[in-house]
Amino acid sequence: MTASRGRPRGGGARRVLTGPAGIALLFLLPALVSLVVLRLAPAAVALVDSFFRTTLLGGTSFVGLGNYAELFGNPDFQNSIAVTLLFTVLINPLQIAAAFLLAVLFTRRAAGSRFWRSMVILPIAVPPAVSAVIWSVIYRPDGLANGFLAVIGIPPQPFLTSQYQALLSIMILLSWIGVGYWMMFLIAGINDIPASYYEAASLDGASSWRQLWAITLPLVRRPLAFVLVADTVSNFLVFAPVQILTKGGPNGSTNLLMYDIYTRAFTFGDINRAQAEVVILVLITVVIVALQFRLLKTED
Amino acid sequence: MFEPVIASFEAEYPDITVEYNQVPFDTYATTMQQRLSAGDDTIDVFAVDQPNLAQIAAQGFLEDLSDLKDAAQDATSEAQYEINIYDDKMYALSIWNSTQMLFYNKDILDAAGVEYPSADPADRWTWEQVEEAGVKAQEAGMESGLLLEQVEAYYQLQPLVESLGGGSGITGDDMLTVDVTTDGWVEAMDWYAQTFESGFSPRGVGGFQTSAVFTDQKTAFFVGGPWDVGGFAANADFNWGIAPHPYFDGGDAVTPTGSWSWGINAASNNKAAARAFLEYVALNPEGNLTSTETQTIIPANSEAAAEYLPTLEAMGGDNSAGAADLIAYEIDNTAVARPVSVGYVQFEALINQAFADIRNGSDAADRLEQAQQQIEDAWSQLR
Repeated sequence: MTASRGRPRGGGARRVLTGPAGIALLFLLPALVSLVVLRLAPAAVALVDSFFRTTLLGGTSFVGLGNYAELFGNPDFQNSIAVTLLFTVLINPLQIAAAFLLAVLFTRRAAGSRFWRSMVILPIAVPPAVSAVIWSVIYRPDGLANGFLAVIGIPPQPFLTSQYQALLSIMILLSWIGVGYWMMFLIAGINDIPASYYEAASLDGASSWRQLWAITLPLVRRPLAFVLVADTVSNFLVFAPVQILTKGGPNGSTNLLMYDIYTRAFTFGDINRAQAEVVILVLITVVIVALQFRLLKTED
Repeated sequence: MFEPVIASFEAEYPDITVEYNQVPFDTYATTMQQRLSAGDDTIDVFAVDQPNLAQIAAQGFLEDLSDLKDAAQDATSEAQYEINIYDDKMYALSIWNSTQMLFYNKDILDAAGVEYPSADPADRWTWEQVEEAGVKAQEAGMESGLLLEQVEAYYQLQPLVESLGGGSGITGDDMLTVDVTTDGWVEAMDWYAQTFESGFSPRGVGGFQTSAVFTDQKTAFFVGGPWDVGGFAANADFNWGIAPHPYFDGGDAVTPTGSWSWGINAASNNKAAARAFLEYVALNPEGNLTSTETQTIIPANSEAAAEYLPTLEAMGGDNSAGAADLIAYEIDNTAVARPVSVGYVQFEALINQAFADIRNGSDAADRLEQAQQQIEDAWSQLR
């Protein structure tokens, strides 16, 4: 029906503009224009730029996939890809598991749960750069973290100055910021589950562990899917803590793609290869997110 | 920041008015790159971070000031004159200068029974002497012996390498040949790595936190700039002193230098007025001196510096006795500027990363080899 109404027939163009579709289009116009100007056009520019090379002393020339070939042959870039993938594989399940457990915990009726919930959410209100500075003090050799470890009898750790601990240290800081945020979506999902389900399960004698698996988890699958995808994307875009705390070091161990793009573009002034890296990062993100959607779909 | 110098210039040249625009330092280089490459003619005079001069000049953004070469040479030190030359042409005039000194905690050296280093350049300590005295201070209860202010910065570490004859790291006719694997480089970086490995210098402290390590009495020796004289005078509640920047036994005495120059935008519509202003601030001692009124920074103009340094020395009272003569001596005799190269920006970013890794335990020779490769890669897009 919609199709036949939208098809222009003898003076139909005017009808399209005044019909519901036209009005809808008008309302959508600002969003569509900003989508094109702010998202699609820059993406197109990035793609086109990545096929060219501009040199300070030479000029601009078309190099096809040359920038990509050079990137994949560059050991620093290979390392950056490896670090980013390792980071993604570790941090996303950890953050989501933590956010889910906290959400379950804080939806229980317990003394002070609202207070603790607020405390967990609080770090979101702190700008990432400020969080990074706070944690730089915590991770200092004579900082809070080592003070805490000393209390429980563990020798001082190098944290950000060790190539084996720096990435993990950044993950902890990011989780401190992120977990509370993702938890909120899951709390909203859990609160939507009718209490009667749990009552029925209790009457049947199901343990709370079994209720968690059989009721909570399946019924928050929608918010969980959103959290999974949004968290994955946001973790691909981590930048401020790396720039402030480690500058990609020690020995490239925290050189996430986003930071590598930044140094290539703005420190080295190599815009073309940086744009090629942007395209690669977007492709990786799209592939991983598509995989996640697929996995979630097959469970339906 | 520049209100006093603008006011005094406008008083002298009533028919010129100066409008001042500030860009945060972190985004300065990129903002200027964008505005200058767009041919922005609203900029007449702009500040040039000295090591970036070659890159900016190579793109044609700076007006050729070669006719002022003689006047510039007379007005400032040799290192500060040469830093503005790219391809035999002069593109900017030096406004500010800097150097580094060795600061020491007198109280802890007394407790450790160590004699103070002298402020006289003729009695300059070696790094070996600093290490020996610092270890004694650690035995007397000090947490660490030595800390350099910009722990991972080329500006700060170039003198270590140059003291051992390792070269600046950039050579060749076009200054686009990397050379950071010489014996001098490896030896200096091995020494630097070992100061952290042994706990003589603290790991994990960087950025703006370093001078606080000295004022909190957690290190016996600290290598810092003239600006620290003002900072320590205000924040250190113990006795301290200054001495010349150390060198390696058997090597040369080398100190860092350099700060900001100013140049004229090639696209400016007010070049005559811009020139008048630039000459006033750089070549006129009085004008140059007023540019430092709100900063603890050395004026690049030699006459202005001679007038300024006693004021700086007075800031720290007895603690900074000898600072004026010492700074004047270093600027004229031991200052070695950072290399002038169109690839300096990439070079500095990558070599600083290598310094950071070496400090955190990477093998110096291997890491420098890697840096050599990384810089060559980054430079491949310049040609």
